[in-house]
Amino acid sequence: METILPATLNGLALISILMLVGLGMAIIFGMMGVINLAHGEFMTLGAFTLSYVQVLGGNYWVGLALAPLVGLAAGFSIESLVIRHLYTRPFETILATWGVSLIIQKILEMIFGSGMQPVFHPFEGSVVFMGVDLPAYRLFLVSFTMVVIILCVLVFRKSQFGLDLRAVIQDRDMASAMGININRTNSIAFAVGAALAALSGALVAPLVAVYAWMGVTFLSKAFFVVIVGGTGTVAGVAAGSALIGFLETFFNYTIHSSLAQALVLILAIIIFRFRPQGLVQK
Amino acid sequence: MTGNKLRNLLALFRQRPLQARDKLFLVVIGGLFLLLAVYPLWGDSYSLSVMRDVLIMSIFALSLDFLWGQTGLLSFGHSAFFGIGAYVMALLTLKAGLGSLTALVCAMAASASVALLTGYFLIYAGVRREYFAIVTLALALVGQQILLSFANVTGGDAGLIDIPFLKFGLFGAEYTFDDNLSLHFLALVSAAVVLLTLWLVLRGYYGSILKAILNNEQRALALGHNTSAHLLIAFTVSAILAGLAGALFTSTQGIVTPELIGPILATEVIVWVAVGGRGTLVGPMVGCFLVIRMRQEISSISTTLWPLVLGVFFVLVVFVAPGGLATLVRSLTGSRFFSAGKKERPWT
Repeated sequence: METILPATLNGLALISILMLVGLGMAIIFGMMGVINLAHGEFMTLGAFTLSYVQVLGGNYWVGLALAPLVGLAAGFSIESLVIRHLYTRPFETILATWGVSLIIQKILEMIFGSGMQPVFHPFEGSVVFMGVDLPAYRLFLVSFTMVVIILCVLVFRKSQFGLDLRAVIQDRDMASAMGININRTNSIAFAVGAALAALSGALVAPLVAVYAWMGVTFLSKAFFVVIVGGTGTVAGVAAGSALIGFLETFFNYTIHSSLAQALVLILAIIIFRFRPQGLVQK
Repeated sequence: MTGNKLRNLLALFRQRPLQARDKLFLVVIGGLFLLLAVYPLWGDSYSLSVMRDVLIMSIFALSLDFLWGQTGLLSFGHSAFFGIGAYVMALLTLKAGLGSLTALVCAMAASASVALLTGYFLIYAGVRREYFAIVTLALALVGQQILLSFANVTGGDAGLIDIPFLKFGLFGAEYTFDDNLSLHFLALVSAAVVLLTLWLVLRGYYGSILKAILNNEQRALALGHNTSAHLLIAFTVSAILAGLAGALFTSTQGIVTPELIGPILATEVIVWVAVGGRGTLVGPMVGCFLVIRMRQEISSISTTLWPLVLGVFFVLVVFVAPGGLATLVRSLTGSRFFSAGKKERPWT
């Protein structure tokens, strides 16, 4: 019990972070078909926002609230400057967003330096459950993420914007003919995906090292989550992040952490071979 | 029976008669390499070492151009194979004390097997285009992470130093490539051999098969070509060449660092090919030279500036010159040389 419970909680924390990043990725990549290699940088922006707010003397909650706003703003500007012109050219999107990713990393490094940024979280204590100490912050992280994801699903399923978005995803031209402003819908969807990534960056920041290039490690994981899970469904994102998160946590406890990442990559590649459509099909 | 098989295999590389543009290509290449061969007459030792790096890196550029330019598969983490070649070479000669030639073959075999394994699962699953790019990018990222965390073997961030120079025994005599002149010719001859081999393969029948796959994989499949197998072979050959470049690079430099496997080098090699014009073989070599010179100029101002310039370049090339800089030059000057008579095509 002493190892299983904390390990499960660690696994759940990783899974929920992956779900949050993966959800943003699923909107942008799975649904809009845009391969955004700068997605990890939205996470970095979120983490840096939290860190900077705390350095200025603000508290955790202000940082956590500001992070998605910064992500939203970054998402809007990148969508209108770069992505919008490349919707029909997926391959060039890769090159352009990779360029954007390098630019954001380097600008952050020039402003804040290449060292680790300080981040704190407000949950000092731990919660005792069945005689085992569980870190309170991870409990908060998991439950907070679940609430955000449920909200997203509700917006996607029930709201007018969700309906517009689903229509644009199904058929851009037809949606446009029906009077939906597809540029506006795409731009909001991209910005929301970026905001989700920034939020997850701020949430994960107290648990990891915050560097200018931290997003890159999450980028490949987020892609695996979406590809392994199946592009375009929330259930797929959940399945993908559960699998990748579980594997990584499990391997982390049994072998070296970077070998764990290599193994996860290998397993993901093998899964491609046998289920090219992903675990959950549309 | 085996004779028949061998004949069939050789038939894959049968050549068309030389045409005017082939002769032009050979003359230009011959002139270029002749110029490079007499370069030590006036180049000082620093420029010689720069030229050597460029020549070895141009093998790396050729390896990506063979894959990306001829089959359309873009490996976004091609530095993984370069890095595997470099580290296997370094570890085998430095720690295991193997001979240069054995280590070189092992380095290439290591790159090949990684490409064969990942390529089998990806290519046969129908992973192409942007999906292929993402997964190969992950390959380079994970590779770098592994290198960094096994610091007691790989030297971690600092890498490894004092890697022995290449040493070949021939007719009982042993020759070591350790001075500027011999290293220059080692790099020059290697680059020339790789370039000519690829050129011959691509202008032969096999090149036509690859071109058919590039133009329309479904059609090539319908014509009876096992397209996945051909793509897997091309990917593996490309990885072998990248591994060769990596191994040569370490043994001429004497050091390996984790940058050799990381995403920045993977990005740079794409830039070389894009600048030179993909699918042109010579173009990427020239692109390699120009970009490395540019990096030196920019790095002498500030070392952190370079990735920023790379980033801006990537965004610009997509909007300004979607077919690579060679297309831009071609459309500005109307020159047809770099196009080798091929029709314009977009980036995939």
